[in-house]
Amino acid sequence: MPQSLETQLAAYIATRLPDARDVVVSGLARISGGASRETYRFRLGYRGGDGQAVEERLILRRDPPSSLIDTQRRVEFAAYAAFHGSAVPVPKMLWLEEDASHLGHPFFVAEEIAGFEAGPMLLQTEPYLACLPTLAERKWTILGEISRADPDTLDLMGAFERIAPDACWKRELDYWEGVIDEDEQAPQPIIRAAIRWLRANPPPPAQKVGMVHGDYRTGNFLYDTEGGIHGILDWEMAHLGDPLEDLGWSLNRIWCWAKDDRRGGLVSRETAIAIWERASGLKADPAALHWWELFNCVKGQGIWISSAKAWIDGANRDPILAYSAWLMLNAQDRAALELMGRL
Amino acid sequence: MKPDISAVLSDITTRLVAEIAPNVQPAYLASSLGLSAGLLSAINEEFERAAHRRVEENAAIRKLFAEAGGLQLPMDLAARLTSLAARPDTDLRVSALDSTNAELRGALIELQTALEALEGPEAKALDTAIWAELAASTQRRKLAAGNF
Repeated sequence: MPQSLETQLAAYIATRLPDARDVVVSGLARISGGASRETYRFRLGYRGGDGQAVEERLILRRDPPSSLIDTQRRVEFAAYAAFHGSAVPVPKMLWLEEDASHLGHPFFVAEEIAGFEAGPMLLQTEPYLACLPTLAERKWTILGEISRADPDTLDLMGAFERIAPDACWKRELDYWEGVIDEDEQAPQPIIRAAIRWLRANPPPPAQKVGMVHGDYRTGNFLYDTEGGIHGILDWEMAHLGDPLEDLGWSLNRIWCWAKDDRRGGLVSRETAIAIWERASGLKADPAALHWWELFNCVKGQGIWISSAKAWIDGANRDPILAYSAWLMLNAQDRAALELMGRL
Repeated sequence: MKPDISAVLSDITTRLVAEIAPNVQPAYLASSLGLSAGLLSAINEEFERAAHRRVEENAAIRKLFAEAGGLQLPMDLAARLTSLAARPDTDLRVSALDSTNAELRGALIELQTALEALEGPEAKALDTAIWAELAASTQRRKLAAGNF
C-alpha cells in the first residue's frame, strides 16, 4: 500500500533533522500558490534533542506533472534564500530536494508566512480600498530593492546564468518567442507583429544586470489590511537581467484588477514608476521601458499559450490553466496593441 | 421547449459561486471550483456570439486579402491570398470556423510581414487597415471578466 504524502514527507524531514524524534506531519492541505507548483500547507511536530516539543507551520512546494511555467526548482529556492533577511520580505527556506524519489517530484520546504492575503481581487473590496496607495508604495519600493541588489553580493547557489548588459533583451525575447513557436495552437498576428517590432528596435543595454523576479505583480505577494507587504512569492521565473523587465511586467495592463488605468489595480503608471526609481536608484528611460513593456506582452502571451497547451494536451488539467488562457490571451493582445499605438 | 443554454450556464455558475464553493474544503478545491465557475461564465458569454464573431472576422480578413491584389507581393503569397479571399464560410460549426480562421490569420501574418517591407501609399493603407482589423478582433473577443 503506497504511503500517504504526509508519511513520506515526515520520513524525509526526519532525515534532515537527525536530532529530532517523533517527527509527525499533519494537516497537509493543498492551497492556491500559483499554477507552476503544487503548494501545500502543513504542520510539523517533533521532539528536539532536548526533549522539548516543537511545532512549526511550513509550506511544501512540489513540481507538478506539467507546469504553466517550466523552471528549475533550484532557481526558485536560491532566489528566496538570497533575499531572506533583507529589505525584500520572503519566507525562510529550509530544505531543497531535487531527488524525485522522496515525494515523486522535486520540492522544497519553507516556513509559512501565515495570516495574510494574496488574492488580487480581494484588494478591490473593503477594507482594503483605503490602503491601496500605501500598498503601492510598498509594492514598488520592494521591487526597487530587488532591482537595487547587487547579484555579486548575493548567495545565488550557482543557479543563475550570468549575462552581459547588452544581451539581456535578446536572450529573453529568443526564449519567449521559442515558447510561442513551440506551443501556439493558432496563429498570433498581434504578438508576431510585436516580436518583429521588438527585434527591429532593440533597447539600450541594461543600466545594470540585476536580479529579476520574473513575475512581480499584484497577486504574488502577501498583504494585510494596512497596506503592509509581508512576503514576496512565486520566484520560479527569477533570473539575472535588465531590472526594467520586472518594472514592465508589473505595469502590464493584464494586471489592472480594478479594470481601470491603475497598474496592479493600485496606482497610476507614473506613480508606480516614480516609486520604483526612488527605491532602486535606477532610471526608467521611457524608450527602454516601452520596449520592456511590449516585450512583457510577448512573455505573457508565451505563458498563456503554454498554459492552454498543457491543458489541451491533458498533461495538467488544473482549471487555472484553462481559465488563464480564456481570460488572458485576448487581454494580452489588447495590451500589446495599446503599447504599439494601435488600439 | 427546454431551458436556454445561457440560462442554464448562468444558473449553474451562480450556484457554484454562491452556494457550493463556500462549503468546499480544502481551500484549494474551493478556489478550483471558483475558477471553474469563472470558466463557465466565460463560455456562456462566448456561446451566444461564437459563430457570429468568427464569420464576421473571417469575412473581414478575406476583404483585406482582396485589397492586396494590386501590390507587389511574392507570387506564391499573392496566389494564396487570392484563393483564400474567394472561399466563403460554408460550414458554420465553430470548429470549422476556427480552422478557417487559423488559416486566414496565418496568411495575415505573412501579408503584414510582406507589407512592412514595401513602400508606397497602397501598402501603408493596407497595413493600417490590417491594424484596424486586429484591434477589432480583440474587441470581438473581449470577455466581461477580462482585465483589459
